[in-house]
Amino acid sequence: MTNKTKGVEFPTPVSLKKTLLLALPMMLFTFMMLSAGKMPTDTNKIISLAVTFIFVNTIFFLMLYREKTDKYRAILFISYAVCFVISFISNLIEIRGSMAISQENLLLCKTPFCHIVIPMTIIPLALSKTIIFPGTMIGSFASIASMLIIWIGASLALGRGFCGWVCFFGGLDDGFSRIFRKPMIKHINPKWHYLPFAVLLVTALTSAMLLTPTYCEWLCPYKTVTEYVEVTSIKILIQTIIFVALFLGLVIILPMLTKKRTQCGLFCPFGAFQSFTNKINPFEIRINQVTCVKCKQCIRICPVFSITEETLNTGKTRFTCIKCGKCVDACPKGAICFHVKGTPLTGNADTFRLLFLYPAFLFLVTMAGSNIQDAIIRIIRLITTGSMF
Amino acid sequence: MGRFKSILGYTSAVLTFFIVLATFLGLNYFSAKLVSVTGIKVSPRFTGGEVVKIVDHKTYTTLIHRPVFDGIIGERKDGFIQIIWERRDGWPQVIEEKIDYNGDNVEDFFIHIETKTGKAMLTAYNPSVTGIEQTYVIKTGYAARILLKR
Repeated sequence: MTNKTKGVEFPTPVSLKKTLLLALPMMLFTFMMLSAGKMPTDTNKIISLAVTFIFVNTIFFLMLYREKTDKYRAILFISYAVCFVISFISNLIEIRGSMAISQENLLLCKTPFCHIVIPMTIIPLALSKTIIFPGTMIGSFASIASMLIIWIGASLALGRGFCGWVCFFGGLDDGFSRIFRKPMIKHINPKWHYLPFAVLLVTALTSAMLLTPTYCEWLCPYKTVTEYVEVTSIKILIQTIIFVALFLGLVIILPMLTKKRTQCGLFCPFGAFQSFTNKINPFEIRINQVTCVKCKQCIRICPVFSITEETLNTGKTRFTCIKCGKCVDACPKGAICFHVKGTPLTGNADTFRLLFLYPAFLFLVTMAGSNIQDAIIRIIRLITTGSMF
Repeated sequence: MGRFKSILGYTSAVLTFFIVLATFLGLNYFSAKLVSVTGIKVSPRFTGGEVVKIVDHKTYTTLIHRPVFDGIIGERKDGFIQIIWERRDGWPQVIEEKIDYNGDNVEDFFIHIETKTGKAMLTAYNPSVTGIEQTYVIKTGYAARILLKR
């Protein structure tokens, strides 16, 4: 349903009562996830829990009330990434005294595991039942087993929606891609869309050959804002220069110039790998061929190059779609919608969207919640005591 | 058929919400199960492999790991052995130790570590011992990885 004012179409808000009713279950679940089942006693923790709870539920309420997905998802997703960086770096400095991973931590396998390593561990894992990463299997912060479980859960529930709703790094290039109103680089050769698959192939094979996660060692730009190996040799110095350069290029500059998530859409091997999980996931984005007027707005705004002229003609997206909902929000004719595979395309688009939003939003809140709460506590500490630690 | 697919679609869509709940509420349980059922572990290339011998000195203990040649299929030509020296009641000025890593009662190399600087020197008796990969200063003492060749 839409209203028209001065030639601009915008969705009519759904009724307040219906929205509250739909938001109520999410309020209960988010409270359960954010509080981890118990009320904190510390004042700072109570404040951060309350602020996070109100913040995330306002976002969800607006998502339902205004019927916009990406607009509000992006606010939470970007906040999540920023808070993750604040929380992670503060924790590292608190525990280790530095962002750098010492040689001792590497030797004693005390490195937190990250989902981006998963594609590189698959071949050795299948053949030798071992993980090629200097982490802990179980019982520590970001242990390998817990990250694998989160990845399996997210893949089953959201497919590559992981990149739009779960990844703690994705919000960084998403954020930078929204800084300017118009892109300065409008055309990117479609051949580049295959680069993440090449990076995936090369890093998976070299990792299996060298028995070390080569992407993490040489290419991961996000080490700039998390942790990196302390520079003790020329080799590590070169690796450091590479990842800082990639961070500046792929996460800051190119997203600003292209208004695309260039790291996620043009480089990330995990994103390429995660695309295959879209095949086993019940949700997809569909384009109604009858109402679509081929204005190509969706092609222009898709952050990960998942809609092309070819896919537009088939009514589907590429299998790299991250289900962020940006195209759904932007389509002037309302021709794009979330869809549940196997069901008729003529089904209720609102129902499809809700069926996707509940698991996706709850996943996002659960992952983001602890980071946002921790970041708020640290900011309160900084204001009241002058130190984040 | 269409109706069946539709029911299946809606059911799997609803199930995803419960998958999310189960993922987080059962995270510790599923993590432990994943490790115990599959038997996956961190590669010995990173952990250094199991400790196979402990030598007790007066003021410190030497932990000798098994030689690691593990590849993804079979063994590799190049490997290493990890040795850790753990402090108990202070250090001697110099740690000097002859190590028999393959248990044939013949010493394979001699290592000399200056405890003040962490500087290490290796003398190989066995041609399979090719050098020191790296020495590490750790909270509990020192560690070294000695390169080996088959």
